[in-house]
This record gives sequence, structure tokens and C-alpha cells, in this order.
Amino acid sequence: MSYRPLPLILRYAVLVVGMLFILVPMYVTITVALKTPAESAQHFFSLPSRLYLGNFEEVIREKRFFTYLTNSVYITCVSVLLMLIVIPMAAFAISRNYHKRHYRLLYALILSSIFVPFQTIMLPIFRHLFNLHLLNQHGLILMHLMLALSEGVFLCVGFLKNIPLELDEAAKIDGCGIGQLFVRIIYPLMRPIIVTLLILNALWVWNDFLLPLVVLNRHPDYWTLPLFIYNFKSEYSFDYNLAFAGFFITMLPIILLYGFLQRHIIAGLTEGAFK
Amino acid sequence: MRPGLGYFLFFTPALVLFLIFFVIPLGMGVYYSMTNWNGYSLTYQFVGLDNYVKILQDSRFMKATGFTLYYTVLVVVLRLAIALVLALLLNGNFAFRSLIRSVYFFPAVLSMITVGLIFNEIYYAVVPSIGKALGIEALSKNILGNAQTAIYGIVFTNVWQGVAVPMVIFLAGLTSVPKDLLEAATIDGASPMQRFFSVTLPFLIPVLMVNAVLAIKGGLTVFDYIVALTDGGPGRATESMGYLIYRQGMQENKFGYATAESIYVFGLILIISLIQIRLLSRKEAGQL
Repeated sequence: MSYRPLPLILRYAVLVVGMLFILVPMYVTITVALKTPAESAQHFFSLPSRLYLGNFEEVIREKRFFTYLTNSVYITCVSVLLMLIVIPMAAFAISRNYHKRHYRLLYALILSSIFVPFQTIMLPIFRHLFNLHLLNQHGLILMHLMLALSEGVFLCVGFLKNIPLELDEAAKIDGCGIGQLFVRIIYPLMRPIIVTLLILNALWVWNDFLLPLVVLNRHPDYWTLPLFIYNFKSEYSFDYNLAFAGFFITMLPIILLYGFLQRHIIAGLTEGAFK
Repeated sequence: MRPGLGYFLFFTPALVLFLIFFVIPLGMGVYYSMTNWNGYSLTYQFVGLDNYVKILQDSRFMKATGFTLYYTVLVVVLRLAIALVLALLLNGNFAFRSLIRSVYFFPAVLSMITVGLIFNEIYYAVVPSIGKALGIEALSKNILGNAQTAIYGIVFTNVWQGVAVPMVIFLAGLTSVPKDLLEAATIDGASPMQRFFSVTLPFLIPVLMVNAVLAIKGGLTVFDYIVALTDGGPGRATESMGYLIYRQGMQENKFGYATAESIYVFGLILIISLIQIRLLSRKEAGQL
């Protein structure tokens, strides 16, 4: 059934205007990145007269773009992989022992950290990781893992409530241990919520700025892409073309990924959590 | 092996992480908040609640709190209102729907710092050049250069990027509205407005709450956009609480003091969260 609060034409008109708002900044980014300084000085909005790749060349060659790209990929992959192991395991233990008081207590404890804003533990974490010699990628990965816990465990426990305990009983009667039960039966059934966790956290870790700023900013070798683009600011200063080339190339990996997987990304974000 | 132990082993990695990287830092934070440590020297004094008392008289912190609250109200209202309208427009079947939805969701996959830096350049160079070409006085200056208007430049950037996620959550919520109810309302002669307020909206309350919680949290802890767009300026007009804590703790050698500020922020967020939970449970009780 169609909604028809507005005639279709009006609906398209509003949606197209909204899309222009989203696309114009992207259009400016791409076109300015492809122009020489002289050309963009004349007009910002014109298409580039020819494809000038000098700006990109400079970002890639002189600014060590690939080092930061590799760092970002490594940190995102390892963080998310660990999350997809640790979080479902914890949620499994909680949901299967929900009748026991101390598990409910531990669950409440982990959930309570949702109320603590990151800024409240940010400064002590800087000191703590310094003491532990973890002001590096591994410290960052462990922190991402910790910060993903409460939300992830909450989503997974909610999901596991819909997987009946009778299933566990049947598997145990058939001689399944807890490990096998989890690996062979429960984990595969958790697929929708795992996909949600994967997308949610991959986007967060990939784009995170404040935590890497606190943990990694003193070591340029460890920078992720968001840190690179932030520190790039002092280098391009008034060279817009170089600046926009930096912005564009930093966004390029996620733009490509989104181009191929947009349907899965949008659906996956909500599917596990709302079913 | 006892099954109880087996389950506990499943829980152990999460628990160890939680204790080492959350409970201990939180305890350290409470301790540092009662010292005058600058963040690097070898010695410092325990000053009890001095920092907490000083903060209450600190006009810079109060200004940052006021800024953050005003900013949060603007961003939450705009994000949710625009997201809801878009979700309603995108609901149902029509040509190019999934393409349009993909375009609208696109800003959500970008990093806030990059988006902030892009808009910084746009406000600095692109908008004024349009303003001058069209002869519009208001657009010909950098909106971020003025202490009165800078906040709106940040809000616009945040809304540009922040509409996407609540929109998708509203769209998911809209699938829970029973179609036969809407049809029945149409047959009974309800106008589109009446249908929205009496049929659709009640089903959207849960997702509305989820969106409100997420948006409020995002507003109260805003940091990336401030760093990218204004660095707290001009003057100190756009310092948010999160930005102030970072600035004072990491750059102005007031580690202990900034930690105490961060604990006030925790208190503020806790109060707001408890109010939200209260409202949420009352709404749910009213529904069922």
C-alpha cells in the first residue's frame, strides 16, 4: 500500500533537493582535487578542464598515504575480528545463565559502562596505556575491543533470548559439550546479529578519531587515516587542491566498499537488532 | 569439567578486558581528579575536592557546558526531525528508491573528522565565493569566523552527516506499522496527517527513543567536528565539554583538573540517561 501523504512528484522533488545537499560537497571535493591551483582559483564549481592527478601523486608519494592505509586496515580488521569472537562468547555465557544472580550482576556491570562517556576515561587511559607500554596499535585494538563490549553484548544477549534453551538441551543430550554447542550450533544461528556487529564496529573503528588521537598521535608511524588527515591540515594550509585531494583519497577506500556493499551495509545495520 | 566453569571461561576474556581497560582507568580517574597533577611531572599533591569546587566557579567550564547543551538540543531536534521526514518520504515502493536511500545513507560511512575538514574548507572558500557572486551579504563571510554564528556552521555539518543513521532506524521502525491498520484508517476517512499521528507515530515511539538516546549522546560528547571546524574558536566560543577536557588535560597541563571536569560530565550524562530510561519505561508501560 502506498502512503500518499504527498503526490509522487512532490516527493521526488523534496528528495532530489535533499540529495543535492549531500552531493554538492562531494562534487566540490572531487573536482577541486582534480584541478591545479591556478584553475580552481578561477572557479570552484566548474568541471576540471583536464584530469590533473598531481595532487593525488603528492599525497600518495610524499605523505606516505599507504603507510596510514595499511595501519587503518590492520587495526580495523584485528579489532573487529576479536570483537566477533569475544562479544558473542560473553553474550552466550550470560544468556544461558540468565537465571543465576551473579551472571545478571556481571551483565548489569558491563551494561552500566554505557553511561560513562569516553571522555571520562580518556585521560586516565592515556596514562594507563603509557604505564603498560601500550601507546601503540595493540593498545588501540584492546581499547576498541573494550569500548565495543557493552553495546555488543547487549545486542547479542537480546538476540540470543530468541534462541530457545531447548536447543541447548537437545544438543547436550546428543553429547555436545558447551564448546561444541557454541561453535557448531549457537554461533551460526547468531549470523544476523554478527553481521550487524561487524558493520557497526568496522565503520566505527575505521572512522574513529578521538581514541587514536589519544593513543597514537605521538608516533606518526602508527597513524590511521583519520589521524593522517587531521595532521595533514598543517601541511596543506592554503593549498585547497592538495587538501581536497587528501580528503578524497582518504575517503576513497570506504567509498569503494560502500559502492559495492551498500545494500548489505544498510540492511545489516538494523536487521540483527530489530528481529 | 563442570558446565558452570565452562560458561565462565566463555565470559572470562570480556571480563578481563573490562576490568583492566575500564574499571581500573575509571578508578585512576577518580583518584587523579583529586590531585593537582599536570600530567607529566614526577610529583603532585593530593588536593581532595578542590578541583570540584573550583570547576563550579570556572566560567570557561560553565560556558562549555552551556554551549554543549544548546548544541545538543539543536542537533537532536534537527537530526530526528529531518530523519523522520526522509524516512516517511522513502517508505513504500517507488522507482529509484534504493538508489536514493543509498545516497542519503552515504554520509554515515565517512569519518567525522574528514567531513569536518571538508566543510571547514567549504565554509572558508566555497560558500563566500557563492555569496559574493550572488551579492548575498550573509553568505559572503566565513560562518565559522564569527563567535555568534560559528555554532550553526558546526550544527549544519553534524546534521548533514548525522541524519543518515536515524533515518535508517526510522525506516526499520516503519516496517513494524501494520498495513491493515493504515488501510482501515484510510477507509474510515482519516487524513494523511491523522493517519500519521494516530497510527504510525505510536508504532515509532520505540525507534524514536533509540534515536533520541543515540543523538543525545552524540551531541553531549561532540569532539571531532569542533576540532576539525573551529578548534574551540573564535575566542572560546565553540568549546564543547569533550573538547575542553581534551584541551586542558592533554595540552594545557591540567590533567587532574580536566579529569575532575570529565567526572562532572559523567554525572550530567548519567542524570540525562536516567531521565531517558524513566521516560522510556513509562512510555512502554503506557503502550502495553
